[in-house]
Amino acid sequence: ATLCFQAFLQMCNLPIRVVCRANAEYMSPSGKLPFIHVGNQVVSELGPIVQFVKAKGHSLSDGLDEVQKAEMKAYMELVNNMLLTAELYLQWCDDVTVEEITHPRYGSPYPWPLNRILSYQKQWEVRRKMKAIGWAGKTLEQVLEDVDQCCQALSQRLGTQPYFFNKQPTELDALVFGHLFTILTTQLTTDELSEKVKNYSNLTAFCRRIEQQYFEGHDKESSATVAARSAKRSLLR
Amino acid sequence: PQSLLQAYAKFSGAPLTVNTINKSWRAPKGEVPVLISEDIVISQPAKILNFLRKQKYNADYELSAKQGADTLAYIALLEEKLLPALLHTFWVEAENYCSVTKPWFASRIPFPLSLYLPGKMSREALNRILLTRGGPPLYSLTEVEAQIYRDAKECLNLLSKRLGTSQFFFGDTPTTLDAFVFGFLAPIYKVCFPRVQLQEHLKQLPNMCRFCDDILTCYFRLTVSGHSPAGQDTADANLQKLTQLVNKESNLIEKMDDNLRKSPQHPPRKLTTLKLAAGGEQSSPLNRLSP
Repeated sequence: ATLCFQAFLQMCNLPIRVVCRANAEYMSPSGKLPFIHVGNQVVSELGPIVQFVKAKGHSLSDGLDEVQKAEMKAYMELVNNMLLTAELYLQWCDDVTVEEITHPRYGSPYPWPLNRILSYQKQWEVRRKMKAIGWAGKTLEQVLEDVDQCCQALSQRLGTQPYFFNKQPTELDALVFGHLFTILTTQLTTDELSEKVKNYSNLTAFCRRIEQQYFEGHDKESSATVAARSAKRSLLR
Repeated sequence: PQSLLQAYAKFSGAPLTVNTINKSWRAPKGEVPVLISEDIVISQPAKILNFLRKQKYNADYELSAKQGADTLAYIALLEEKLLPALLHTFWVEAENYCSVTKPWFASRIPFPLSLYLPGKMSREALNRILLTRGGPPLYSLTEVEAQIYRDAKECLNLLSKRLGTSQFFFGDTPTTLDAFVFGFLAPIYKVCFPRVQLQEHLKQLPNMCRFCDDILTCYFRLTVSGHSPAGQDTADANLQKLTQLVNKESNLIEKMDDNLRKSPQHPPRKLTTLKLAAGGEQSSPLNRLSP
């Protein structure tokens, strides 16, 4: 998720610095990550950040007409609905992944027993939410199928264009890039999730293109932060 | 969900009979709507739609790949932005729940389920709203409510812009997306609640009202004012009689049309009159839908 809005800010040509903190969730005004700290203002979550940036005069979607804006919002919801929930499911509801990766990673900054307690608490929270929206009854195969469907929709929408709304990147591109890049680069117990994305060559080309265009300018720093971030990814979520 | 599925079935030409909820205590997991086809029982709207598609009732036959992708995106938008407010209007808003939803629902299911089930659905709805939308900085229920209604109104505006002046979302024939939008909007539009902020907002979007009215008159054969909960019963009864008529005729035609059914997918049928639905030769599984 951090990557989404980093991409967004890069696309707006705004300079940023990424900092990792263990208590990030508590610093954020809404308890959710990511958040930005500008002067004496703190703004969290992608939606409000986009509004904030727009109010300061930078926007990526000004060139779109009303119908396109509606479409963009719809696709952003699709990504949030499917990809984000699938990522959460995989991290917190799939027992193998939880034991081997998520628990150790989430609890790493804290001493025992706090690390176990906090990660169980988070897990319980996420599972409750999954149950409320009806994902608790899904098996891993069904979740992967949903991700596949979502990727297929994104791939079809992207087609052969460089960005979703042709020549200029928009918030949607940043969001999709953030999620897909995370899926492609995070190490999990199985590669099934990243395989699903790799099936769609235009999506992988899209990720590579954005990475090259917006992240390799800040070369060493960004690749180091990407590596550090992938280790602390669940923390920063 | 029930109006969504009925609408989809109409658009794609699937013959189905609607049974009212009195059997919900027999529904496998207490969930409604439920589709029963021969021996197969399916209970979630998404799965029901998939099943109907596999049975060759496909309303999206003529859509391009990109339009299919758009459908998925817009459905996600509906579920994320409009559904919480819809759930709230029906199940959480105290006046609405007590005066309309609960009595209507309870009158259609047998005692003693009528004591338990509405309360359960109400709690589940509130739970869902709070868990998905209720985190900080929204600390009280009123703030959450304000936010979800803002989102719902924005969603309605977006849909209105997308619909523009066309008859359906993808041109002249209705598709899955139209069924979904109709399924979400029809209850807001037609049910008479004491607290009606969503309905008022909807009425300010003339193209959305026209969209609902069109579908109601063309596919449900109801007058514009007639879709209140009481009217639902007569609608159901009519639907049943007409579907039975259709099925008898189609059984005869079936034998002649065996070859046609072997073709890969059927294009959608436009039901300009219900008699024409007798052209629904693909009705060999008799589908019954319990809303």
